[in-house]
Amino acid sequence: MLFLHAAEQGLIYGLMALGVYLSFRVLAFPDLSVDGTFPLGAAVAGMLVLRGFSPYLALLGALGAGLVAGAFTGVLATRLRIPGLLAGVLTMIMLYSLNLRIMGRPNLSLLGRPSALLGLARALAAPRGYEILVAAGLFAAFVFVLLLLFLHTELGGTLRAVGQNPEMVRALGTNPENLVVLGVALSNGFVALSGALASQYSGFADVGMGIGTIVAGLASVMVGEILLRPRGIFSHLVAVLLGSVVYRLAISLALRYGAALGFTASDLRLLTALVVLGALAAPALRTALRGGEA
Amino acid sequence: MLELLGITKTFALGAERVVALEDVTLALGEGEVATVIGSNGAGKTTLLNVIAGTCRPDRGRVRLAGRDITRWPVHRRAPLIGRVYQDPLRGTAAQMTVLENLALASRKGGRGLGPLVGRRKRQILGAAVAQLGMGLEKRLNERVAHLSGGERQALTVLMATLTRPKLLLLDEHTAALDPANAERVLKITEDLVREYRITTLMVTHRMDQALAVGERLVMMHKGRVILDLGATEKGRLRVEDLVALFRRAGVSDDALLLVQNGACA
Repeated sequence: MLFLHAAEQGLIYGLMALGVYLSFRVLAFPDLSVDGTFPLGAAVAGMLVLRGFSPYLALLGALGAGLVAGAFTGVLATRLRIPGLLAGVLTMIMLYSLNLRIMGRPNLSLLGRPSALLGLARALAAPRGYEILVAAGLFAAFVFVLLLLFLHTELGGTLRAVGQNPEMVRALGTNPENLVVLGVALSNGFVALSGALASQYSGFADVGMGIGTIVAGLASVMVGEILLRPRGIFSHLVAVLLGSVVYRLAISLALRYGAALGFTASDLRLLTALVVLGALAAPALRTALRGGEA
Repeated sequence: MLELLGITKTFALGAERVVALEDVTLALGEGEVATVIGSNGAGKTTLLNVIAGTCRPDRGRVRLAGRDITRWPVHRRAPLIGRVYQDPLRGTAAQMTVLENLALASRKGGRGLGPLVGRRKRQILGAAVAQLGMGLEKRLNERVAHLSGGERQALTVLMATLTRPKLLLLDEHTAALDPANAERVLKITEDLVREYRITTLMVTHRMDQALAVGERLVMMHKGRVILDLGATEKGRLRVEDLVALFRRAGVSDDALLLVQNGACA
C-alpha cells in the first residue's frame, strides 16, 4: 500500500516536477511562482467542479489559469526587468490572495464530487487496486510525451538554447524574452494541472497546499538526476518522474517510520529542504573535500 | 552593402565621458572583406556592436542591404548578420548536440512546431559540417561541450554563415585559439566567405592577419578611422609599414601589444 500510494502521488506530483524541470533546468529560471500556481490549479478546478462543470473541463481550466499566471511571471522578469526570483515571489504572493478569492474560503472539500482521476480510473480495465495508479500514469504520460515532443521542435529547441545561451538565440533572430515567457507559462500550466489532480486525488483543495512546492519539485528533479545521470531530453524527463516517485516514497517512509526517531509530519519540509540543500551543495563540498586532501 | 554614416558613440565612465566612436563613416561593397585593426580602446568592438545592434549610436546611421537598420533591435537584424566572437563559448549552446546547434542556426527568425532535426536536415547539415574537414560530420549527436575550442569555433563560423547573411562580423575570432587551430579556423572562414561572397568585417589585433586577409584595411585609433586602404595599397603594405603608421598616429608600443576589450557588452 505504501509503495502504491507513493507511486500514485509520485506520478501526480510528477507533472509539477516536469514543470519545475522546464523552468529550472531547461530555462535556467528558478521560478517560485509554482508555490502559488499549484494551489491555483486546485482552486480553479475545485470551483469548476463545485459549480457543476465536468472534472475534465476543470483540469483544462486549471491548466489555463496556470499558463496565464506563469506568463505573468515571465512578463515581470523580461519586459519589466524584475529579477527572476523576485518576479516569482511576487506572483506567488499575489496568488495566495487570489486563490482565497477564487475559493471564497481557505479550503474546499471535494469528497464525493466528480473527479477526472477517479472517473478515468473507473473507466479503465486496470487490475483491481491499480486503477488510480494507471489513471495517474496516463496523465503523467500525456504531459511527458507533450513535453518530449515539444522540446524536439524548432521552437522547443530554441527554448532549450535560451537557458544555455540567450545571446546566441538573439543573434539567431529570435527574441529570447518571448521564449522565457512561453517556457514559464508552460511550466506553471503543468504545475497547476498537477495541483488540480492532487486535489481530486486527496479530495480537498487548500490555500496552503502549495507551500514548498518548488522545493519538492527541485528535490524530485535532483533525486532523478542522481539516480539516472540522464544525458538526453528523454532520459531527463524519465529521471524527473522517477525522482518524483522516489521522493514521495521517501516522504511516506519518513512519515511511517520517522515517528520512532522523533520526527513528525511538520518536520517534512525541513527534511526536504535539507535534501535539496545537500544536492545543491554537493559539487562545492566535493571540491572543498578534494582541496582539503591535496 | 554596408554603410556607416557619421557614427558617434560616447560612454559615461564615472564622471568622465569617453568617446568610443567619433564620426565614423565607412562603406563596404557587396562581397568585400575588410580587416579592422587598432589599439586598445580604438572602438573596434563598439563599431561591431553598433552594426549588430547591441549598442545604439548617439548619432549617425547604419544602412545594410539598402535598409536603414539604425533603430532595429538585435533579433530583427539578426537574419542579415552573422557574428563570431573571440570566446568560442559565446556562439553555441553547450549542452545541445552539434546537429541541434546547426539546425538552430540553419533557420533564423520564425520558429515553428516542426522537428528541430529531421532526416533531411541531418543530411544537409551533415554535408555542410563535413566541409570543415574536422570530422564533425561523424559527431553530429555529440554535445558541443565535448568539442575542443578550435572545433567549436569552426562550428560557430559555419553556423554564422549557414543562412548566407548579408554581413559577417568577426570579432578577433581566432585570438583565443592556439596557433594551429587559429590558422585552421581562419582558413575555414576565408573559404566560406569567398564561396558565398559574404561581405565581411574582421576585427583583429594581429597585423599579419590584417594584411593577409581581405582586400580592405581599416585602421582605427581613439574612435576614429585613421586609415582606409583598398586592395592595391594594402597589397604593398608590410607589417613594418603598419607599425610605422601606428607610431605616426601616436600609438605607443605598449598599446600596440594590448589585446583590447570592448565596452558596450
